[in-house]
Amino acid sequence: MTDALHAEWTKLRTLTTTWWLLIATVALTLAVSVAMAAATHLTAGGGGQDPTRLSLTGIYLGQAVIVVLAVLAVSEEYSTGMIRATLSATPRRLVLLAAKAANLAGLTLVAGVLGVAGCLVVGRIMLPTDGLNPAHGYQLVSISHGPTLRAAAGSVAYLILIALLSLGVATAIRDTAVSIGAILGLLYLAPVLAEALTNPLRRHLEQIAPMPAGLAIQATTNLRSQPIAPWPGLGVLTAWALASLLIGGLLLRLRDA
Amino acid sequence: MTDTETATGRPRPPTTQPRRASFGPVLRAEWTKFRTVRAWLVGLFVAALLSVLFTFLVANGRHEGSCTGPPPPGSGPNSPGSNCHAGHPFVPTGPDGEPVADSYYFLNQPLTGNATITAEVTSLTGVISTEPANVAPSQTSTRRGLAAWAKAGILVTPSTNQGSAYAAVMATGSHGVRWQYDYTHDSPGLPGLMTDTSPRWLRLTRTGDTLTGYDSTNGITWTQIGTTRLAGLPTTVSVGLFVASPVSFQDSNNGSPTLATATFDRVSIGSRGGAGAVDAWHGQSIGNGSKSFYPTLGTGGYHRSGSAFVLSGSGDIAPGVGEGLLGADTAASSLPLGLIAGLLVMVVVSTTFITTEYRRDLIRTTFTATPNRATVLAAKAVVIGVAAFVIAAISAAVAIPLSEHILKANGDYVFPASALTEIRIMAGCAGLVAVTAVAVLALGAILRRGAGAVTVGIVVFVLPYTLKQVLAGSADEWLFRLTPAAGLDVLGALPRSAHVAYPYTLGNGYYPLTPWAGIAVLCAWVAIALGVAALVLRRRDA
Amino acid sequence: MSDATIEVTGVRKRFGPTPALNGMTFTVTPGRVTGFVGPNGAGKSTTIRVILGLDAPDEGHALVCGQAYQQLRYPLHQVGALVDAAALQPSRTGRNHLLWLAHSQKMAASRVDAVIELVGLTTAARRKARGYSLGIRQRLGIAAALLGDPPVIIMDEPFNGMDPEGIIWMRQLLRSFAGEGRAILISSHLMGELQDIANHLVVVGRGKVLADASVDELVAHASGDRVVVRTPAPTDSARVLEGSGARTEILDSFTVSVSGLAAQHIVQALSQAGVPFSEVIVQRARLEDVYLQLTSGEVEFRGGSDSGSDGQAKQ
Repeated sequence: MTDALHAEWTKLRTLTTTWWLLIATVALTLAVSVAMAAATHLTAGGGGQDPTRLSLTGIYLGQAVIVVLAVLAVSEEYSTGMIRATLSATPRRLVLLAAKAANLAGLTLVAGVLGVAGCLVVGRIMLPTDGLNPAHGYQLVSISHGPTLRAAAGSVAYLILIALLSLGVATAIRDTAVSIGAILGLLYLAPVLAEALTNPLRRHLEQIAPMPAGLAIQATTNLRSQPIAPWPGLGVLTAWALASLLIGGLLLRLRDA
Repeated sequence: MTDTETATGRPRPPTTQPRRASFGPVLRAEWTKFRTVRAWLVGLFVAALLSVLFTFLVANGRHEGSCTGPPPPGSGPNSPGSNCHAGHPFVPTGPDGEPVADSYYFLNQPLTGNATITAEVTSLTGVISTEPANVAPSQTSTRRGLAAWAKAGILVTPSTNQGSAYAAVMATGSHGVRWQYDYTHDSPGLPGLMTDTSPRWLRLTRTGDTLTGYDSTNGITWTQIGTTRLAGLPTTVSVGLFVASPVSFQDSNNGSPTLATATFDRVSIGSRGGAGAVDAWHGQSIGNGSKSFYPTLGTGGYHRSGSAFVLSGSGDIAPGVGEGLLGADTAASSLPLGLIAGLLVMVVVSTTFITTEYRRDLIRTTFTATPNRATVLAAKAVVIGVAAFVIAAISAAVAIPLSEHILKANGDYVFPASALTEIRIMAGCAGLVAVTAVAVLALGAILRRGAGAVTVGIVVFVLPYTLKQVLAGSADEWLFRLTPAAGLDVLGALPRSAHVAYPYTLGNGYYPLTPWAGIAVLCAWVAIALGVAALVLRRRDA
Repeated sequence: MSDATIEVTGVRKRFGPTPALNGMTFTVTPGRVTGFVGPNGAGKSTTIRVILGLDAPDEGHALVCGQAYQQLRYPLHQVGALVDAAALQPSRTGRNHLLWLAHSQKMAASRVDAVIELVGLTTAARRKARGYSLGIRQRLGIAAALLGDPPVIIMDEPFNGMDPEGIIWMRQLLRSFAGEGRAILISSHLMGELQDIANHLVVVGRGKVLADASVDELVAHASGDRVVVRTPAPTDSARVLEGSGARTEILDSFTVSVSGLAAQHIVQALSQAGVPFSEVIVQRARLEDVYLQLTSGEVEFRGGSDSGSDGQAKQ
């Protein structure tokens, strides 16, 4: 296992693409959060806004890059034919998948921590000037605040789970473009579908779709009005990721390379 | 010419501008390429399937667990024994088949033959409901305030049924005196507002089919402000005084019903030169109450105050607009999600149409066969564009009637759309998908890698459609003005009216650009992508 | 087909800091097979890509049939090229691959079936390219090159992955094409593959031409008109021959290596001086040796038969 882990690590780290994608993840996440913070202003009624969630909006776009990173980790092997070399080096295919998963999780963790920390700093600096400050009854974004810590750590976990979900899907589909299309479709279309529906269908969809459920972890205020509570929401996404890895792993074992 | 030079054997300097190959064979080659890869054909089919499926889901999900068809006769939406929320309230249809608001208080009498009706409006005041939107409005919880389009004046109509033809001259809250007829036609009177200190005189005359409105500040000098022929106007019509006061919006979402009160003095009805039957007045609340869709604040009423009549009324006589009042269902309102889903698949098909060539170095074979690379790009663009157009047109042709049918079956109100509008929506969807497919093809040519092209394609050309709910404030309006999402503006099918004060915002179903302007914005993006791709293809080694 | 030529003139091309082509100049003339040889990385493929208009040269130019490739209206009627036989989309059949190529040149499907038959792929061409062996891919690539019945044929490493039978077939095919007056350029990094079919060789190394000559000329040059004389009196032989202007080297007590004097003159000189000798052997180098000699030392050599001066490229 450690050999496979090491081999996969070497494979990932020796591709400049990997590092560019990680940088892009952090950069896009921050850019969107900065743009959101700049566009935010206190509405007339006040209240109802969630400063922590606002500052973490960048994850919405940053995850797309993580999806690409995870998909490429396996689909590139198929498109170049390198998978045959890989599998002759590591014949135990589930070990191989686990090694890929572990490496991806590690890299995503680093990018996630950097991105999320940056987002919180953005929120701390920019949001008070938009009116989301103690004078208007808003707490400053701070990691010492329990729910904010949960949202921050949860967002990193969210990205890791998205990476694992993507890895499983890509292992099953094998084609780069189709995999990316399928995953981004699953992530981004579900909330739009939910929005078009009326309750209770809408609520149910938001409880089981990977992105709305997973991002519930970012909520720090008005928890009651969320369709799903933070931790159970992340649990739903975990189930998605595990199921996808399971199916991907099964197909990897059963199919010819 | 070139052949002659070759014969002399002189080496010629190589020209940088590649010779233009004739387009037909290149196009045919690219089409052969496209149709012989089954995955792409399957992709097209999946795109069509997803479009229709998601449109169905959205249409069907608008009213889950509801009963179908109109409510049983005699049972209103809130009547006991019926927990059936479906079946939209009654929406009157105007003379031209358009949905209209037709709720007001009408003090009228029948009148036969030609006539002239004159009245002086001496005051117009109003109140606005202060109850939250989900609480039934009551006359007791109100604040003072006059809606801009509160109307008080003289009206002639062949019938007091909702949606019937009419012509009216009126004083308004803040738009001065107006001449209006048949809901959609409007022209202004003399400049200046009516106030308590400067009352306005109104006059409406009937001569045969012709109705004419006059405005005066003193009752002596009259100015004609509008005239019309109402074809087939019966000899006996209802004429009288009316007051209406439309819903007033504080912000994009919250509208409150209002009530206006007007005082009419020196009312005279001259029929064939003689005086009208002053005591034949009959007060009537038109289109008021729970059965009508238009929210009102009470039913209105009238009393006499000396020689004057004091009328109060709520409602509007105007084109029907918008979600707040009717629900924003149109022939196109269920389409966006299916369109986005289909688009997503098209993005994958279209990018791989070129990136797989790079992946397999097939592009070298292609460029060896056709050295003019811009021609190859153009041929590919035509192939993918036409394929996408046809598939999207077919999907829309299925999805539009399907969604309309389901929405109606679920009891939703669907804004009527002319065949022309439906064709425009269909062509718009097809154009949107085709143009986007060409754009991501160009992206594929620029980036060469499937992963990058698909991701950038989805983020730039699909994601903006989905951001509506993420963005706060008016940022989403700009999204649909500037980003490729502007293409979705082709779906705009809700009626607007310059004389209905309604927030025509994206949140209420109104796209910020006209359909063709929206497509033009998208096309601008595509032009940029194609331009860069053509440039890059020419400069770069294959 | 008098026009069937490839002219490469002073082509320079850099990839980043590395020069790939460094003033490549040669001409391929019709009616013969020109071998294009050099070690890996010598610039053969890049040159071919420049000829085919795939890569733009930084300097110099390449003409096919007297025109820049990009000027050709239906290029496959003029030039058939086998560049990368693996470049197939896996989910398309071989026949459909040829079909789109044919359509791009305004050719009918019947031509596709004709070339498929010519390369012997009638059954395989109906299968998807995914399962093709290297040999089938190679044959399909050749079919693509022959599609337009072009006067100029360019093949990049055509023997890769072919079985011996295929190689024999291929050689016959190329020879017959040359006999029809076509210009044929075949690149290879193995001289041995070209020994029996090439009439003319362009040897390249480090992005420029090291030798551009007929096979005979090359061999003669590499042999360096060296003659070995078997004699019981090597010292006497050496003295006599040096007196006649040759350079000699005594290899052992029976053998003297002579250069700078033709064999008949050696015989004449030794006979006149009465020095006994048993054998005079003219040394012929193997093509392989020529190649190694050229590419290791990077000596430049040009046969008299060909044009294409370096001066044109450097202006």
